[in-house]
Amino acid sequence: MKALIIDDEDLARAVVREHLAAHPDVEVVGECANGFEALKAAAQHEPDLIFLDIQMPKLDGFEVMELLEAEGKRPAVVFVTAYDQHALRAFEAQAVDYLLKPFSKERFDAALTKARALHAAQPGTPAPVAAELAAAARQGKPLERIVVKDGPKVTVVHLDRLDWVQAQDDYVLLRTEGKNLLKQQTLAHLELQLDSSRFIRIHRSYILNLDRLIRIEQDSKEHRDAILRDGTRLPVSRAGYQRLRELWEGDSL
Amino acid sequence: MHPLLASRARLGAYLLGWAPITLLLTGIARSQGWSWAEAGLLALPLCLLAAFLFLSAWFLCRALPLGRSLESLGPHAAAWGMAAALMGGLWAGLAWILARLLAWIPGLGALPQRVGIALPVLTGLGILLYLASVALSYLMLAQDRAIEAERKGAELQLLAQESELKALRAQLNPHFLFNSLNSLSALTAVDPARAREMCVLLSDFLRRSLGLGERRLVALREELDLAEAYLAIEQIRFGTRLRLAWAVDPATEPALLPTLLLQPLVENAIKHGIAALPEGGTLSLAADVVEGHVILKVENPMDADAPAPLGLGLGLRQVRQRLLGRFGSRARFETTMLDGVHRVTLVFPLETEL
Repeated sequence: MKALIIDDEDLARAVVREHLAAHPDVEVVGECANGFEALKAAAQHEPDLIFLDIQMPKLDGFEVMELLEAEGKRPAVVFVTAYDQHALRAFEAQAVDYLLKPFSKERFDAALTKARALHAAQPGTPAPVAAELAAAARQGKPLERIVVKDGPKVTVVHLDRLDWVQAQDDYVLLRTEGKNLLKQQTLAHLELQLDSSRFIRIHRSYILNLDRLIRIEQDSKEHRDAILRDGTRLPVSRAGYQRLRELWEGDSL
Repeated sequence: MHPLLASRARLGAYLLGWAPITLLLTGIARSQGWSWAEAGLLALPLCLLAAFLFLSAWFLCRALPLGRSLESLGPHAAAWGMAAALMGGLWAGLAWILARLLAWIPGLGALPQRVGIALPVLTGLGILLYLASVALSYLMLAQDRAIEAERKGAELQLLAQESELKALRAQLNPHFLFNSLNSLSALTAVDPARAREMCVLLSDFLRRSLGLGERRLVALREELDLAEAYLAIEQIRFGTRLRLAWAVDPATEPALLPTLLLQPLVENAIKHGIAALPEGGTLSLAADVVEGHVILKVENPMDADAPAPLGLGLGLRQVRQRLLGRFGSRARFETTMLDGVHRVTLVFPLETEL
């Protein structure tokens, strides 16, 4: 089995390496100090198993996992973290394990056994889980940024730089700082993760960052447009208009 | 106990207030053709009697507090009126007895007769003076209540500050603790000597932070020691990613400041600055004295791709609140973000004694 160790702290990687030394069937194919290195190493080595820290610079562990999923890579994942254990309870329902720092040899071996079993089972194509895990770990707090893989390039979109989102079949088009980015995700799924007081589903196909809205124009009886700061016009459906009004009325109370 | 009797200064001021009334009474008597001796010898003891007799108004007022509603005013006014009539009558009666006693003094033989004529006037004056005492008593009661409320408010504020400090103490960052223990776990195999060093550093940090929490104010030196212990541990964790630039003027070390004010700044600099950068960076800490003030600066690089934080986080807000709570307008708190460097500046007076 090929394994990758991803943690921004040298010593934290050293502990995992040390425990793995007792398992000669596992070969450590790389060590990475951040998410970008991890993506590169994963593309190069095709690991079967990754040990993944959660809090890291630039990309966190969930984002690394999500980007791997987007490339169709599904290595067995063991999160290794000092994260709040309550936040990780939801992991127990998923096909990943986690080790709370610091951990014992026994706990490490148990996680490895579970990962081996998962690797051997070779299920068809498991559903993506990274986004769900991240949502569970946030414990109800809304998403703060979105990662998008655009060819070989990974872009991190901070949500206050996101203007609007458009549904395009199985993809969403993200409009940010004059650029369009495509990400494989449904609009409904993204909508669930966003802060509903900042991002409003104004139309079946559009989510709008409220901060960008200047006014609503009514063309005809049933047709309204949202006019944005940069002059963009987006259609507003009747249900979308209703949602905007509820939000405004809620504010003025 | 009556508040005017509780303090000599208050009692003196009150009795002084009766002096013009004594003079007024003497003047009235003189205008009625009384001799100086008759007017003076009666007015002085009579006013002294009134001064103590009318103190009783305070007890009446305390028993009949003024509500906000007008409904209680009727019964209250009736009580004041009855008490005033009673006291006015009593006072006039006392004047009459006094006149009888003074009549033994040669030359004052006409006093009982003169007082006899003046009894209705004396009664009326007594009623008026008693009502004035009622008004004065209500004023005193209101003032006492205001002082009491202020004291309670200050006490509550003190309690709130203390509980905040307790909360800060309990806030020992678990993420830091578990990551440090994990580093320790790694070192035991690869470098036992450093593992022991880490144990000592961690104990040192824990002992210091537990000890500091007991006090409201500490010398900057102790805060710096705590920060040093903390950063020594973080340097083992982050290795070459964390670099330190330390520039402390020894003259700032005895300066007193609220406890655990520096620690949140240093923790923030690591968490939101150094730890979020793959290549790490330099954390700078500087303390200088300028014109009797300490200028304390903590700087760290920030990820240029991350959006600038909106407003202050909870940790920095608490630091500002506690700094300004202690020094008021004599202190300043500033955060700036310039060329990818985040800087927090605290300015406060250099005071070494409470």
